[in-house]
Amino acid sequence: MEQKLRREAKALLEQGQVDYIVGFEPGSLKFTTTPLITRDKEEVDRLVINPFIVNNLANFLTELKGRVGIIAKGCDSRSIVSLIQDNKVAREDVVILGIPCPGIIDLSKVEELIGKDRDELEAISREGDKVVITADGKTSEFSITEVLFDNCLGCELPTPQEYDILLGEPTLPVTDRSASQAKIEQLKGMPPQPRWEFWSNELSRCIRCYACRNVCPACFCQRCFVEETEPQWLMPVPRWQDNLMFQVIRNIHVAGRCTDCGECERACPVNIPLRSLTKEMYDIVGELFHFKAGMDKDTAPLMTHYEQEEAEDFIR
Amino acid sequence: MKQESEWEPRLLGFLCKWCSYAGADLAGTSRKKYPANIRIIKVPCSGRIDPLFILKALRLGFDGVLVSGCHPGECHYQTGNYRARRRIALTKKFLEYMGVEPTRIQASWVSASEGGKFAEVVTEVTNELKEIGPNRLFDEERDIYGTKIAP
Amino acid sequence: MRLINNSKKVNKKDIGKLLSQWSEEFVVFVPSKENGVVMMAKWDGTDTSFVDWYRNTVIPPKAHFLPPMEEMFRFQKDKGSYQLEQPASDGQKQLIFAIRPCDANALAILDKVFEDAYEDPYYLSRRKNRLLVGLGCTNPYDSCFCTSLGSSPSDAANVDLMLTDIGDEFLIEGVTDAGKQLIAQTSGLEEATEADDSRAKEVREASYHKVTRRIDTKDINSKLLSCFEDEDYWEKVAAKCISCGICTLLCPTCYCFDISDELVKQQGTRFRCWDSCAFPIYTKMPMENPREEKWRRVRQKVCHKYEFYLMNFGVIACTGCGRCIRLCPVNWDITQTLNSLPAKT
Repeated sequence: MEQKLRREAKALLEQGQVDYIVGFEPGSLKFTTTPLITRDKEEVDRLVINPFIVNNLANFLTELKGRVGIIAKGCDSRSIVSLIQDNKVAREDVVILGIPCPGIIDLSKVEELIGKDRDELEAISREGDKVVITADGKTSEFSITEVLFDNCLGCELPTPQEYDILLGEPTLPVTDRSASQAKIEQLKGMPPQPRWEFWSNELSRCIRCYACRNVCPACFCQRCFVEETEPQWLMPVPRWQDNLMFQVIRNIHVAGRCTDCGECERACPVNIPLRSLTKEMYDIVGELFHFKAGMDKDTAPLMTHYEQEEAEDFIR
Repeated sequence: MKQESEWEPRLLGFLCKWCSYAGADLAGTSRKKYPANIRIIKVPCSGRIDPLFILKALRLGFDGVLVSGCHPGECHYQTGNYRARRRIALTKKFLEYMGVEPTRIQASWVSASEGGKFAEVVTEVTNELKEIGPNRLFDEERDIYGTKIAP
Repeated sequence: MRLINNSKKVNKKDIGKLLSQWSEEFVVFVPSKENGVVMMAKWDGTDTSFVDWYRNTVIPPKAHFLPPMEEMFRFQKDKGSYQLEQPASDGQKQLIFAIRPCDANALAILDKVFEDAYEDPYYLSRRKNRLLVGLGCTNPYDSCFCTSLGSSPSDAANVDLMLTDIGDEFLIEGVTDAGKQLIAQTSGLEEATEADDSRAKEVREASYHKVTRRIDTKDINSKLLSCFEDEDYWEKVAAKCISCGICTLLCPTCYCFDISDELVKQQGTRFRCWDSCAFPIYTKMPMENPREEKWRRVRQKVCHKYEFYLMNFGVIACTGCGRCIRLCPVNWDITQTLNSLPAKT
């Protein structure tokens, strides 16, 4: 798949079909990849596909000017479609190199299983539905469902539906939906007061780095509401009340565009369980409006659409 | 800190100028009695309401928020109230998941001729808020570890 | 830095007894891992499991001196004039246990800015009241590069006491007068033997070589100066940065802050909180934003640390802790950038 990717990407640049190629190259840390954004066809040889290609590259589409050849996993392709629905990106300006994705490995889960940090491990390799991890010369085997990201375990679209070039055979998702929903179900089992306590506690750690917002392709506002000073909705001071308000509003603002790529939770440096918010919003959107983000580029975005008859039981 | 029996809920109402605000006005001129707990902000349309306003009101300490607009199909701007309907549905459900009492976020369709309805809505909402008690959601101060500290 | 003699030692199992004694005079902070995040937290009085697993924290100990948020003062509005009320100065005596050399050195770098033309009372009163008990690293991350910045995993230059992990025990050495005094008044310490001292030497030597990441800081400021105007170069360097604040907020030598007032009716509070030059609105002013473009902000961050701070204060504003590399959501790596600066033209 990698060879095909490099060939196709190189061809796109050579033939002038795109101005940029956006993909993944090996990172500077073990078992890490990093986005590669290049106009240079020689650099395209650095492109890789492996179980660690975690970023949602659609995030870069709203800032790059020109035509972009972009590598997209299933969830990423939905983010691209969502941007097209919102008219932020024109379909003709992207060449989507689709990657059927069997799931991405969550290094923090690996670290938890082995009891060692990422840089202390020797090898991590996926073999079918198993993962083999080598540390201190010893190998251990686990089921792949123990190390995939939670959102991968609930994957609804591993193979992009919207693409220009598909870089492999369509794949079936490897899921464990109950594991994927476990944290959220646990929260739902709590009465309201402890739930609010839980979130106030978690959001106390937030330092307002805005990584969650900045990795998200759905957050593309030029001026975010937190940066507004007239009126000032939130102070920049990281008090838990304002941190919590930030998360609630961010989730509502991206409702219908969030594709559960899980990047927000992964990016958070203080491990706030953000996906327990985003996935619940994703499910609320599905339940109330039967809508899934980024499935069809010709569908109207969620919040600009309405039906004449809609649930109004909460309205007097 | 006031005693429970002295506490009166503070309700913030966002009323759309064309229907609900006129309805509230009519309630006044018709001398309909309704509780004085509500503070009204006039907006051009219920579709102007960003859930941010609702959250900010709760953050500031209001015990409840009421968004009121024109009946579906009667919006002065055609589609504004449909937007409001979707947004408020989402906001209510999401905040309920987080642990906020759903009673704190209220919505109604009140047309310009429904002065009586407006008075009823405010009365009902105020009574419901009296039952669930004051908004203490954002009262506690916490340090960076989440430990509660004295203000 | 070569440590001094007269070292003592304590068995790791007895660390709790030490901390209990110290808790009588200080509020003791130790590394704690909650929700998978390593942070300095108040010692709960019993748990000492951190001696077995601790690598460096996510939030740097600068948070104890320049907190993520603090009240500067409160004020009352009274018919058009303001009555100011100073908060009780934060004279809380704290002991920060197991601070790493990179983070301790970072405080010395921060001192230069907070003691400069204006002496920052908030920062300085905390510096005066907090004792640093350093712990040498025996297991550096692959993102660490302290050895390229004139330091090492066992550098005791800026701590009061230094601990070295020699197996089942910690070797303890006093560095400053305050540190030596603390040792003198602490009971339950054994005398270290020559064997312990030489074991410590071995451990320090081994740790030094475990730091594999390196940058070449020779002439770094003139290299940066010479490529400063190269917009294309910096655009390429900045391409994948997402302008969040992780690298700067969690950097032990970054010190940018924002000041914000909150007025509710007649009472208000002025807060100081962390800010980041990576944010797009950091330099936003009514008429313009000189760093509107992302590449300007990325260039600023690199040059501030490795060129401007060096020119202004004589030291590079980086101690090689590696948090920026480890925690960046897109694995943007400052060492890669510094090691591949274009050659001087």
